[in-house]
Amino acid sequence: MEVSCLELALEGERLCKVGDYRAGVSFFEAAIQVGTEDLQVLSAIYSQLGNAYFHLHDYAKALEFHRHDLTLTTIGDLIGEAKASGNLGNTLKVLGRFDEAIVCCQRHLDIARDINDKVGQARALYNFGNVYHAKGKSICWSGAEPGDFPEEVMEALGKAAEYYGNLAIVKELGDRAAQGRTYGNLGNTHYLLGNFRKAVSSHEQRLLIAKEFGDRSAERRAYCNLGNAFIFLGEFEVAAEHYRTLQLARQLKDRAVEAQACYSLGNTYTLLQDYERAIDYHLKHLIIAQDLNDIGEGRACWSLGNAHTALGNHDQAMHFAEKHLEICRETGDRSGELTARM
Amino acid sequence: EDKSANVASSQIFHSDGGEMEPETMEIKSVSEYFTKMHMGPVMSRQ
Repeated sequence: MEVSCLELALEGERLCKVGDYRAGVSFFEAAIQVGTEDLQVLSAIYSQLGNAYFHLHDYAKALEFHRHDLTLTTIGDLIGEAKASGNLGNTLKVLGRFDEAIVCCQRHLDIARDINDKVGQARALYNFGNVYHAKGKSICWSGAEPGDFPEEVMEALGKAAEYYGNLAIVKELGDRAAQGRTYGNLGNTHYLLGNFRKAVSSHEQRLLIAKEFGDRSAERRAYCNLGNAFIFLGEFEVAAEHYRTLQLARQLKDRAVEAQACYSLGNTYTLLQDYERAIDYHLKHLIIAQDLNDIGEGRACWSLGNAHTALGNHDQAMHFAEKHLEICRETGDRSGELTARM
Repeated sequence: EDKSANVASSQIFHSDGGEMEPETMEIKSVSEYFTKMHMGPVMSRQ
């Protein structure tokens, strides 16, 4: 029996809903092979293929299908066009093509306003905020401290904060999930702008909403972001409390995140001059990094060398310094090699 | 805002400016369209 395009597409949709994007892509591509004359169905297939590739981090493919979707919906279907523009904007943002992303976000917003779609307006503004945030971060990140970026960066981040003003709309709509997302990214924007108190306040709201939903990943993110903000406020003990993400990361069975939490805790205890505990966490970080064959291994050795130096354990300090140097040579990390030699 | 003078945090905290929230992707549902297509005639008969 021949399977129709619609049946294949429905199966693709079901698979994507349960997070099996790879299998979902196969069904959607098979659906395209079979073909349909129904442009609405074809548009939905293109759109969902674009989203599936987006979740699989294949952004070139995501771009291709969201473009097809937009081409298909431009004539007459305003809601379809708004959705295609939104998805295209998000994809262009990830690809670092910010000016094109802004055009798409604007189209999404214009249509939502024209048809008085409040939910669409809030989503378009959130996307806008994300584009300006990413743009700001892309211009100048390495080396500089939050709050001390060039004017161009601060301007982009300022715009991001303005667009996260969609909070007023999502509050009016009573959409707590959308409020949570906006608070999280607004907190990150304030952090980069150097407004650490405001960052804390936003992330605290984000944490509250994450707990309401039982969203453990969002909760862990909020704790980690709160920890980072408190470090910059010089409140190291409070930061350490928030890096409790270690426990959450274990529950989430995310070893890379657990490693990051150990590293942050190790650094926090270094700032608190509690070197014994710092060593304990850096060792945990090192073990996970070795298991994951992660680049963090060199960083862990460098930190361990410093903590042992502070405690006067010169043999141990030398051991980790040499190990750091060795890793930097293996990985071709020239700046790390220079640091190791010092 | 106040900021601790003795922290060169970007040097030791490799936080990439904070962990971002997920993007909100718009969904065009085939099943919703399918339901609408089949329910439409039923509803109009009532």
